[in-house]
Amino acid sequence: MITINHYLVLSAVLFSLGTFGVLTRKNAIVIFMCIELMLNAVNLSFISLSSHLGNMDGQIFVFFVMTVAAAEAAVGLALMIAFFRNRESIAVDDFSLLKW
Amino acid sequence: MEIMYFYLLAAVAVASGFMVVTCKSPVNNAIALMMTFVCLANFYVMLDAPFMAAIQIMVYAGAILMLIIFTIMLLNLGTAVARKGSHSVVWATVLALLIAMQGYFVINRGEVSGITGEITGEMVKKVGHTELIAKSLFTDFLLPFEIASILLLVAIVGAVIIAKKEV
Amino acid sequence: MLDNYLPILVLVAIAFAFAAGSVVFSRLVGQKKPSVVKLAPYECGMPLFGTARDRFSIKFYIIAMLFIVFDIEVVFLYPWSVMFKRLGMFGFAEMGVFIVILFVGYVYVWKKGALEWE
Repeated sequence: MITINHYLVLSAVLFSLGTFGVLTRKNAIVIFMCIELMLNAVNLSFISLSSHLGNMDGQIFVFFVMTVAAAEAAVGLALMIAFFRNRESIAVDDFSLLKW
Repeated sequence: MEIMYFYLLAAVAVASGFMVVTCKSPVNNAIALMMTFVCLANFYVMLDAPFMAAIQIMVYAGAILMLIIFTIMLLNLGTAVARKGSHSVVWATVLALLIAMQGYFVINRGEVSGITGEITGEMVKKVGHTELIAKSLFTDFLLPFEIASILLLVAIVGAVIIAKKEV
Repeated sequence: MLDNYLPILVLVAIAFAFAAGSVVFSRLVGQKKPSVVKLAPYECGMPLFGTARDRFSIKFYIIAMLFIVFDIEVVFLYPWSVMFKRLGMFGFAEMGVFIVILFVGYVYVWKKGALEWE
């Protein structure tokens, strides 16, 4: 019998994998993909809790998370293209002007 | 039977998630990410949310991943950014393990509670999942729904301004 | 619940088996007499120039980005169309507002010339 805990543990594992990727990778597009992985892990826990509690709200939240992810993809990847035009690179280390 | 299927899918999802994080070539990362999306769509079906599974495939695997692959091809990352190395793996591993363990303990110690509704698997089958989503989305979540359209409008304008050359 | 999805699983299994089977079978049974012409991507037609790894034009990105945004709009239309009769005039009005706001974005992109292919 699959319980809610199975899904929540899987979601936690995927989320920490995404965190690991965001912290270690240098390629901005790969970091973006890891963020998508983290968003999906959260979506999984939203839907499993929603179906466990018999309440629709969690799934509507996932709907809006997907909308935000699409807007984020459009603007974020456009930003990367603009970066690349300026610096011929999308390694995050090359965008450290604001770092102190 | 179903629990076996769950473990199989979970193994594939975690393995492909690991590939998203570790593969060297961005195209391989993107394909592994697609595998993870498909596995999650399977889980949504198992959780009595078939409409969510459909839009998971449509939006994530169909649209967002396509845009990512377009960007990879657009920037030609295979040759242009042949940069090796990564940030501190040790600290990232420690932090990721801490997050995973924290999640595990909270899940095992805690009790899942909240506002319970009356929606069951049988009800989803009888009424239809899309209808239940629609009932909730167009009555209780009316304002977020309209705000979502403004968010999309802003995304269109922003992306065109940023990406287009010398507007 | 999952029994309804068995046909999809069977379809996926057959697709995998066909793809893997064709590769393995042609490797096992086929003859191997490679020549320069045979190894070219197109055996008849234009000779190749450049590599496939050339950079793509930014125009493709703009089109793909617009596709994403309007794809999301269509996803919102699905549940609305299922409940269309019962939501009545109210639902029609709220979806009207939604579409008008996105239409503003469409007009903006059009006027900006992002849809022109030059």
